[in-house]
Amino acid sequence: MTHPGTYSDRRTGAHSRSGGRPTGDLLPVVPRRGCGGRRLLVGLFLLGLVASVLPWWTDTQAGSLAGGTAKLTAAGQISGLLAGYLLLVQVLMMSRLPVLERVAGGERIARWHRDVGATLLVAVLAHMSLILVGYAGLEGRSPLGQAGVMLRDYQDMASAFAAAGLLVLVGLTSVRAVRRALPYELWHATHLAAYAVLLLGFAHQFSNGTQLFRPGPVRTGWIAFYALVVAALLYGRVIAPLAFNLRHRLRVADVVAENPDTVSIYLTGARLDRLTMLGGQFFRWRFLTRGCWWQSHPFSVSAAANGRWLRMTVKVVGSHTRDLRDLDPGVRVWAVGPSGTFTAAHRTRERALLIAGGSGITPLRAMLEELPPGTALIYRVRTPSDVLLHRELDWLAQARGVQVWYVVGSRDDPGPRQVMSADGLRRLVPDVARRDVYLCGPPGLIEQSRQLLRRAGVPRRQIHLATFEL
Amino acid sequence: MRRALFAITGLAASTTALVVLKAGPDTSRVAQELPASATPGTEESTTAAESTAEPAEATATAVPRPSVSRSPAPGQSTASPAAGGAESSGGATKKPSVAQPSTAAPRSTVRRVFGPVVSNEFGNVQVAISLTGSRIVAAEALELPERTAQSEQRSSRVDDRYSGTAGLVVQRQSADLDTVSGATATSESYRESLQAAIDQAR
Repeated sequence: MTHPGTYSDRRTGAHSRSGGRPTGDLLPVVPRRGCGGRRLLVGLFLLGLVASVLPWWTDTQAGSLAGGTAKLTAAGQISGLLAGYLLLVQVLMMSRLPVLERVAGGERIARWHRDVGATLLVAVLAHMSLILVGYAGLEGRSPLGQAGVMLRDYQDMASAFAAAGLLVLVGLTSVRAVRRALPYELWHATHLAAYAVLLLGFAHQFSNGTQLFRPGPVRTGWIAFYALVVAALLYGRVIAPLAFNLRHRLRVADVVAENPDTVSIYLTGARLDRLTMLGGQFFRWRFLTRGCWWQSHPFSVSAAANGRWLRMTVKVVGSHTRDLRDLDPGVRVWAVGPSGTFTAAHRTRERALLIAGGSGITPLRAMLEELPPGTALIYRVRTPSDVLLHRELDWLAQARGVQVWYVVGSRDDPGPRQVMSADGLRRLVPDVARRDVYLCGPPGLIEQSRQLLRRAGVPRRQIHLATFEL
Repeated sequence: MRRALFAITGLAASTTALVVLKAGPDTSRVAQELPASATPGTEESTTAAESTAEPAEATATAVPRPSVSRSPAPGQSTASPAAGGAESSGGATKKPSVAQPSTAAPRSTVRRVFGPVVSNEFGNVQVAISLTGSRIVAAEALELPERTAQSEQRSSRVDDRYSGTAGLVVQRQSADLDTVSGATATSESYRESLQAAIDQAR
């Protein structure tokens, strides 16, 4: 199926699976995975939530909370335990532990991280204010005076206050409106302060925590959870990527222009036949060359695993992606991944409909090789020259029985308007409600399609979105 | 974001529910505590065994405070095992000591006298003293404020200074004690309960 004649063309354009490059055999259809693992994770999380408050429940005598200040202090203790637990969960979720990535997927974990983050922020603020007011009431001071006394006299409270301040900062810079106004690098640097929160907040739990300061199983368990999270962090962030990159030693093989503002980057490396990834997944790439090495960006692969090479297809939108056009062959690449549940394995039905917009075709193109025959693809582009990987798609349409529709034109043209309606969708894909739908493209198109699909009767859990943004 | 709101509301509601549940009076516990605090009287050590067990257990289950469980004093070596049981503050040691009260009965030269429960804003204080004749040979705190880690640290400082067989109470033989700095309220309550116990004993 390869066309050696077009190999020198330096364009991913041949009528073949891979633009004329040598590949392995055709891939088998990827079997579906259930959502049992995800439910297990949620169950474990809830169990941990209960377990974190349990020490308070057993320590506190019934009827001992007479009076308002005692109640406030008790609520402060509970919210403190909850906050301590949630902070560890937050860090654990960002540890990129392979098992978490596989079961829940990076995008979903990122969403959870957002929600738990907001909860954590409220829990920490509640913990601080309740304890301050409660203790102030006990000792007959004003809350502000109490804060001063705590900073001065209590062990480890100065660092705890610093941790709370940092956490509030991290929380506030993550509010969507604030975050959009900040440069990514600044936001990222602020977010790294969360590790300092973990460190600074550690001591005060054990020197002042009513449930934790006494040596015993509760204290030991709490410290063990800390150790577990740090171990997960170390494994997911350091050891696993190190092992992956030492094993595969990826390098840039070739950079090919797909159209004026899109490039495909081909990578080779060692033992790629042992690289397990699914189409639609992404890696965080770091190109080890001057000006690029300090940035890591997520791009999905645009071809399924073939044992010989990897490829990503990137649209030039910023300074970093502009630099990628000038990569020289041989440049080392540091990759972390694969991540993501935007894959054929996570579909709930046998058949699928893919909707791509512009350069959003790339993960879908990789998935097409692993989906069963009868898959439908709707490819929205503004002009014919925006169509990427055109010939590969045509080849896939034939070889794997994919129905491909190119919907060309601006949003208000009659063609696109007709297709992008509930009726239009049903005419193209009559059984759309019984398919999994994968969406990838500009946010506007994604949102429009999502509403459309809901109107066409597609259940929410059958709609998959590729979102790299939180 | 909707889920975050849901989570925050849920956690706030369940925290409130937990606090309210715990704040509700537990009838069995109250019934046990009432006689102990209502009858701060002079009792022979043997008969005291039954009622001392209660306050001792109450403090023990609330917070097992290591500082309270001192080794029995030499002056008390003749005392009944029941007194030792109450002093060691562990609920576990209570039962065997109650089971054999009669052995100590003939040599009950040591009396134990209980002061009343004195409340301050941090919690309750109750002091018990052991006397040979009219001489105080030991003092102990059956209950001290320990709701927070900070308050427990203070309580144990007061306890270390005042209580025991060589503490300030035994040295001074009165409730005229120096206030422990940084723990004024607890010191005062301690002295109040101690004074009442001394008044009863003499």
